[in-house]
Amino acid sequence: MGKFTAGFICALSVFWAGAVFAGTVSVGAVTPLTGKLAVYGEGFQQAMLLAAEEINASGGINGDTLEIVFEDNNSTSKGSVSAIRKLITIDKLTLVFGPAASSNFLAICPIAQKNKTILIGAESAAAEITKCGSYVFRVFPSDLLQGTGVSELASSLGYKEVVLTYVNNDWGVGLAEVFKRQFLASGGKIIDELAHAEGKTDYRSEILRIKRHNPKVVVNLTYIKEGATILKQAYETGLNTQWLMGSASKSPKLVALAGKTAEGIIGTYPTFSQESPEYQAFKTAWEKKYSGKKTPIFGEYNYDMVKLTALALRDAGSVDADTVRESLLKVSQGYMGTTGDKSFDENGDVGATYGRWTVKDGAIIDYQVEK
Amino acid sequence: MSAYYLQLVVNGIVAGSVYAMFAVGLTMVYGVFKFINFSHGELITWGAYLGLMFSSPPFSLPIYLAAVPALGITVLLGLAQDWFIYRPLRQSNPVALLIASIGLSYFMRNAIRLIWGSDFQTFNLPAARGMSFGGIYITPVQVMMVSAAVVFLTILYLLFTRTILGKSLRAASDNMELADIMGISMTRVTITVWVLASLFAATGGILLAMDTNMDPMMGMASLIKAFAAVLIGGAGNVWGALLGGMFIGVAENLSVAVISPGYKDFISFALIFILLLVRPTGIFGIRGGVR
Repeated sequence: MGKFTAGFICALSVFWAGAVFAGTVSVGAVTPLTGKLAVYGEGFQQAMLLAAEEINASGGINGDTLEIVFEDNNSTSKGSVSAIRKLITIDKLTLVFGPAASSNFLAICPIAQKNKTILIGAESAAAEITKCGSYVFRVFPSDLLQGTGVSELASSLGYKEVVLTYVNNDWGVGLAEVFKRQFLASGGKIIDELAHAEGKTDYRSEILRIKRHNPKVVVNLTYIKEGATILKQAYETGLNTQWLMGSASKSPKLVALAGKTAEGIIGTYPTFSQESPEYQAFKTAWEKKYSGKKTPIFGEYNYDMVKLTALALRDAGSVDADTVRESLLKVSQGYMGTTGDKSFDENGDVGATYGRWTVKDGAIIDYQVEK
Repeated sequence: MSAYYLQLVVNGIVAGSVYAMFAVGLTMVYGVFKFINFSHGELITWGAYLGLMFSSPPFSLPIYLAAVPALGITVLLGLAQDWFIYRPLRQSNPVALLIASIGLSYFMRNAIRLIWGSDFQTFNLPAARGMSFGGIYITPVQVMMVSAAVVFLTILYLLFTRTILGKSLRAASDNMELADIMGISMTRVTITVWVLASLFAATGGILLAMDTNMDPMMGMASLIKAFAAVLIGGAGNVWGALLGGMFIGVAENLSVAVISPGYKDFISFALIFILLLVRPTGIFGIRGGVR
């Protein structure tokens, strides 16, 4: 092959690539496609692809096709860092959908902020994400809102005095702070508050201290394993009380670990109406594309994230990060997604409404006020 | 309110009897071989995890049956530690033995992680309301913990005072070379020490795991308590270690009345510091020897 032919093929391929990719708007996505979160990652990906397909069917981004460049993070922080580095430096993308799990998200948000790349999350709840910076958004409510939710739960059940315990890390302390502020403001009283260490196997001393007050109700802001251990050991120690918990404890795993001692606990979790036309439309579209498959966990949030991003890209008419950032803030105001109102505040956070859950006969169900 | 303090004492005695079992094993090894065996903690963990292995599929034995092979294998592990690592190093610098035992403890802990993962594991025993005595709650497993300590230590007492083997053990711990010259079989002494130490560690480990949960770090956490107990009793002193274990258990549980429960473990560290500074020979002031 002569030099000329090689050059010709080169030129041709550049031209061809240009022809194909002209009219494409690319957005990156750091997604757990392998590793321990892969079981959820597939659902996230399918929900994002469903939204992209709908956007492209209805004219794309001002005539251009929306394309999502998926990059696997192996469900780890390290993988997330490599993935976003690749998306920013090699693919030159200015907008990236962030990974699941707050720790993975937090690992890459400084990178996005520093490189002036917009990062949007659909599953990360940690309160710290609020402080990530001006280029970081999420369509999932911050855990801080939950503190208010639990306070309202306690008040609405008629509890004026509570004992408060929380897991001793940034998440637990932050959540407890909000709860305390709200509960005290609503006229409640906190008899005693104590932090419990994460990952211990023996919480009997903590339980004894709680038991000393013989409380009617204990607000326990904790995780699944810690929660299960505390419930079990409290039962063994003869503590009879109403447990109020957050969404981080809402898991069949907790019920499996704690057994009958989980019966009757009441908690809150971020929820949205499944009756809204937006949700119904999503559900119909999902069933059409992936017939026979249940809608995945957080699928609705991923769907909303892509839809809202497309709206912002249309409005911006460019992929310049600062322009897109402005229009994200603008178009989100009053935007009703499948998961409710997605108006971003100045921190890139959204509001939320909270539902209530309880455990009955070993199953997690919605809590209904008994009349 | 007095029920509260009584409950703290009861919890302290329960915790203390398990610490005592760990401490006695640790101090026996020190008494005879004159080195601190850091990997003693991993014998505790291995006992618990082997119990888990035999109580889950494909074995699915009830826990009290699963404990039998678990104890057996842990004893073999203890003997293997000595045979492959400590015996070849016996004549070298004590620091070499110490470093080797630290290395071995890392190795054994990470083997647990490799096989069972870093997460919590549980025997999945059904939750049961503890027995109540005038407002003081104690669970059947906790009763077992105290009973096991009493039975084991009684047997140990009889062994030391009534048998030739026990007397050889005490002789060896006083002066290993002299005992050897006098015709006491060092092989028998060595095997006895490791069998007893491993057996105590594994039994305590299984009971501890039945009482709460298990994780790869459980042995490490218990070892700190055992260290403190050994220091209180005077290194090498079996009965001192027993009392030391009890003391640590009660002290850290009573501390909860005045400090946050999150800092409970701080008590054993504080005791270690104070004793090392003030009275390194232990409260009983006896230096060395299995007594």
